[in-house]
Amino acid sequence: MPNYIRIEALRMLRNKRYIVFVVAFPVIFYLLFCNVLGGETAPGGIGASAYLMVSMSAYGSLAASIMSTAVPWAQERQSGWLRQLQITPLPNRTIILTKLAAALLLTLPSLLLVFLAAVLTQDVSLEPGQWIGLVPAMWIGTLPFAALGLAVGSLVPPDTAQPAAMIGMFGLAILGGLWFPVDNMPTTMQAIAHALPSFPYADIGWHLVAGETPPLQDVVTILAWTVALGAAAVLAYRRATARA
Amino acid sequence: MNAIAFTDVRKNYGDVLAVDGLNLTVEAGRTVALLGPNGAGKSTSINMLLGLVRPSGGRIEVFGHLPDEAVARGEVGAMLQSGELIPELTVMELVDFVRRLYPRPLDLDEILKMADLSDLVKRRASKLSGGQTQRVRFALAIAGAPRLLVLDEPTAAMDVESRQRFWASMRDYAAGGRTVLFATHYLEEADENSDRVIVVAKGRVVADGTAAQIKAGAGGYTVSFTLGGQPAAGLDALPGVSAVEVSAGAATLRTTDLDATVTALYRGTSLEIRDLKVTGADLEDAFLALTRES
Ligand SMILES: Nc1ncnc2c1ncn2[C@@H]1O[C@H](COP(=O)(O)OP(=O)(O)O)[C@@H](O)[C@H]1O
Ligand SMILES: [Mg+2]
Repeated sequence: MPNYIRIEALRMLRNKRYIVFVVAFPVIFYLLFCNVLGGETAPGGIGASAYLMVSMSAYGSLAASIMSTAVPWAQERQSGWLRQLQITPLPNRTIILTKLAAALLLTLPSLLLVFLAAVLTQDVSLEPGQWIGLVPAMWIGTLPFAALGLAVGSLVPPDTAQPAAMIGMFGLAILGGLWFPVDNMPTTMQAIAHALPSFPYADIGWHLVAGETPPLQDVVTILAWTVALGAAAVLAYRRATARA
Repeated sequence: MNAIAFTDVRKNYGDVLAVDGLNLTVEAGRTVALLGPNGAGKSTSINMLLGLVRPSGGRIEVFGHLPDEAVARGEVGAMLQSGELIPELTVMELVDFVRRLYPRPLDLDEILKMADLSDLVKRRASKLSGGQTQRVRFALAIAGAPRLLVLDEPTAAMDVESRQRFWASMRDYAAGGRTVLFATHYLEEADENSDRVIVVAKGRVVADGTAAQIKAGAGGYTVSFTLGGQPAAGLDALPGVSAVEVSAGAATLRTTDLDATVTALYRGTSLEIRDLKVTGADLEDAFLALTRES
């Protein structure tokens, strides 16, 4: 499996779209936004630079986990690479577990790059305890998005997966308040944000940065999405890999 | 020990009967061609052999195991009829990845040499030509040192020279006592590269044997010579002879066993044979005859 994860990570790191949308975008927009909003106070009373650090790393990780799954997986099914793997001793379940592990691994560059930019250029400083909570929460919190990407990749061909992944990625990011805070949105939009997995994912981060315990509702919502999308991913995967 | 055994294997897709009661066994160590026109059911049979497609009926065994088990044990390697590589990865990365999935793989260098890829190790898959891609796919098929190598129309996208090099690689691999089954619709390929040809048409086996036997089976050879005034009696009793024709002092025999007929003609008769001429029904004729009949 390390052999397989390595290959999966390598190919994504050589993919221009991944590098642009996932690695470069979040950190560039983070620096741009900080430049404009630098000294202001964000919702929740935290500094804008810390708030944006969570927003942009959340966007980057969400984008990474969907981009490294949906389209590549749909392509592998169509191009025959899946069949190539199915005639080796590699067990079926290792394929999807590896995809999941690789997706988690591939969220780290954007996550860590934004954190690093925040600390080095915006003087964001958190207690060690806050970092210890924030990094794993933002990391493991991407599971439902990776599951979503895998489900999409199992269900549709690559030319449908491509727009679906883009819409999912930007839709979840915008509606979840990662680009513009939900507090400034109409109440219906706020209700939608609270029901999606992307808002509670980032909201946990915003609370941790503010030195608060994240609301239970956030944790419950994201767990529910993880279970639901995880089940969808497994079912879709079974269907996609069933023998004719 | 049989490497492959198909027993009454059927596969239908809705109304289409792709494989219609296939029975065949392949002894370990043989190189066998599955010859048949497009739509004969070659790929369907191969995909069932590899566990990618479930038979609608019958049983398939690979070294005494079900296909899935044989694949899981790393006993099978294959080049499917179509398939692409991961474009971002290099030849070496792809080959090394696949070989590590097997319990007892070949050495990386050995694979690269056998597949003629030593000069391309650092090349990304997206930059390979069609023929080079096929060589990488061959490398992936042999990487795990499988006892059974299965190739589904492997030379379809190759020019003449690449073909020759490809079959040389295949023979290299087969030489270690390994079993090879390859599908083709090229007669010469089947003839030149296998020690047994199984002809399939419409999902059934229509002929099975060496290339020479198959030629013989469908009309065989024609032996003609000048008979002059000598008696023609007894010619039809010679071994292998299926028909005799005498006209204007010339005899024409049709035979299914050329060697036996000619030997008997010289040694078993007192005839004076002049102007002996042999014409073989070529494999093309044999093949057309066989697949038309079914
Ligand atoms: N997935 C499929 N769905 C429906 N029909 C199929 C499928 N695969 C093969 N067939 C049909 O089965 C028959 C045998 O096909 P195939 O095994 O590909 O033949 P070959 O490889 O000898 O050209 C053909 O008539 C083909 O159209
Ligand atoms: Mg075929």
